[in-house]
Amino acid sequence: MFERLRRRRQDEALSDEQLHRAALAGSGEAMAALYRRHGGLVYRFTLRMSRDAAAAEEITQEVFLALLTQIGQFDAARGTLSTWLCGIARRQLWKYLERNNAGALFDVDDESAAEVQCPSDGPAELLLRHEAVAAVRAGMDELPPALREVAILCALEEMSYEQAAQVLAVPVGTVRSRLHRAKARLAVLLRAELVDTERKRL
Amino acid sequence: MTTDRQLDEVLAELGREHRAIGAPETLERVLCAAAGSGKASIGMPGSRFKWALVAVVVLLAAIATGGALWQTRRSSQPQAQQARSVPAPPLRPESSLPSAQDPGRQDFQSKSAPMRKAGSTRVNLRNSSSKQPTWNSLDEFVALPVSEGLPVAAELSVVRVRLRGRDLQQYGLQAPADTAAQTLLAEFVVGEDGLPRAIRIVR
Repeated sequence: MFERLRRRRQDEALSDEQLHRAALAGSGEAMAALYRRHGGLVYRFTLRMSRDAAAAEEITQEVFLALLTQIGQFDAARGTLSTWLCGIARRQLWKYLERNNAGALFDVDDESAAEVQCPSDGPAELLLRHEAVAAVRAGMDELPPALREVAILCALEEMSYEQAAQVLAVPVGTVRSRLHRAKARLAVLLRAELVDTERKRL
Repeated sequence: MTTDRQLDEVLAELGREHRAIGAPETLERVLCAAAGSGKASIGMPGSRFKWALVAVVVLLAAIATGGALWQTRRSSQPQAQQARSVPAPPLRPESSLPSAQDPGRQDFQSKSAPMRKAGSTRVNLRNSSSKQPTWNSLDEFVALPVSEGLPVAAELSVVRVRLRGRDLQQYGLQAPADTAAQTLLAEFVVGEDGLPRAIRIVR
């Protein structure tokens, strides 16, 4: 236990760059520290995008191995290690989604969202919390990948627009507009869920 | 607007739930092993290189020490062994193979100045004479009984061989019973015709 605490404190004291250098020099502990620091983000992102735990694990492993193989690719001046790792994860993910026919990957058209009718705002007090969360969660999974990844990074991981733009390699404005579209779709779904709940109550 | 606020709340809750998911621990071990078995310590990125440098220095020191020891041993060995491959200079028959009339031991080297010069090979021949040389006398070169009657060798060489004690019989020598089965290290003086002229038991 004390060893773990000591190790965690040691991990926190070192920057990503220092740990990366140590990992490149052959330090397994440094690699493990980097994984403990950023593995969760990469794994969650890939898991939410692929909806396949095995694929997420595999991609996460590849992403961290890239730290050892793609020496010199990471430039701390251009961005943080977490965004760089997520960028690699995203490239791997798109390959995975292409292989698995995940549909139109760049389909970010939100016309269908406008077609969903929202009869009323509905009383929020009638909404059961867990149903709303379940509905949004399901709605998130139904989003086109290009919108989903923005929603995951900005809404769930609470990344800034700039960080998300670095991960996705798109301008900040694109991130902003995609997030807006994603939220609009989710809002429509949520509204429909509220109406449905209201009907059930009545 | 209410739905937007509700959506933000739901997303916040979903985000908390999402961020609670941790990375699988199994990967940590895999990555640790991939990075280098976790031997290097954090904060010392060059430690592996330092160890490698130390290993190289130790290796070089070992090689140098070994070389020095080898040189020392080599220089302390009898020069006769170093010059073994050097063909012995021409040998006069009367000096190389003392006749039966020569009294006792005869120092071959004393009559063969060129040989001393060539390789400082000390070849002392005992007189084989008429009687068979004794086993105890074989620590120095002794003319082989079987070499009697052979033509005079113009050039002699020393050849070191391993043989059984019983094999000496074919050269006209009788080894003691206890050494018959033993492996002996012997030196033969061989003429240019390939026939042995003298023998010495080294060990």
